[in-house]
Amino acid sequence: MTRTVQLTLFATAREAVGASRLERAVPSTGVRLDTLLESIAEEHPRLRPILRNARVARNGEYVVGKRLRVRPGDEIAIHPPYSGG
Amino acid sequence: MRSPSTRRTVGGEPISSEVTDRPITLSQVAQRLEDSGSGAVVLFVGRVRPEVQAGRRLTGLDYEADRRMALARLSDLERQARRRFGTRRIHVVHRIGRLRVGTASVIIGVAAAHRSMAFEAARFLIEELKREVPIWKTDRWARGPTGRRRRTRRRPRGARSPG
Repeated sequence: MTRTVQLTLFATAREAVGASRLERAVPSTGVRLDTLLESIAEEHPRLRPILRNARVARNGEYVVGKRLRVRPGDEIAIHPPYSGG
Repeated sequence: MRSPSTRRTVGGEPISSEVTDRPITLSQVAQRLEDSGSGAVVLFVGRVRPEVQAGRRLTGLDYEADRRMALARLSDLERQARRRFGTRRIHVVHRIGRLRVGTASVIIGVAAAHRSMAFEAARFLIEELKREVPIWKTDRWARGPTGRRRRTRRRPRGARSPG
């Protein structure tokens, strides 16, 4: 059974962490998204300023308010400001 | 992750847009706009612009996308453009991967009854794409005095940037 959350990091977020994917074990009751992101920012301080301007998506949908709970099996994407075109 | 092209449906609705790591061409986009009985077709091409900074030359850009969400956002934009401007057909292709200076990175095609609708919709689509679609570019510079070669853009390249 899945007990982890997968995070995908793009662009500056990937560069700050040095990896495009991270995996974090979470309890089956879930964890608050802001708590999860804070623990990752503790490990990767360069990510912190990027998170302030990033959009966050859970399972392909943008997250509104980071108090949302993420549960095992969820996929979180960190989107720094876009620069396509 | 590196499949040559991704096309599918979002919420059962076919998406015309593509995010691909293969070269993109005007004819491939124009073809998708044919037989629509439209009086006007506008095609926009965004290309990797040459640039020199502090004596270093830009050799190209690396594009990446969150494909699933990029396609969903692009199909939203197509729907919005259809509603706002009454266009008949829209086809957007964005290339990702390593692109050299001069290479087309995005092509937007709009077919509409009249030219004003087609021009306005194309303008809307490129501006919104830059703001709202999860695609990123990272600069690649020829090795210069600083030895630093890569920088991911934190923001789109300002108003003078077409693509």
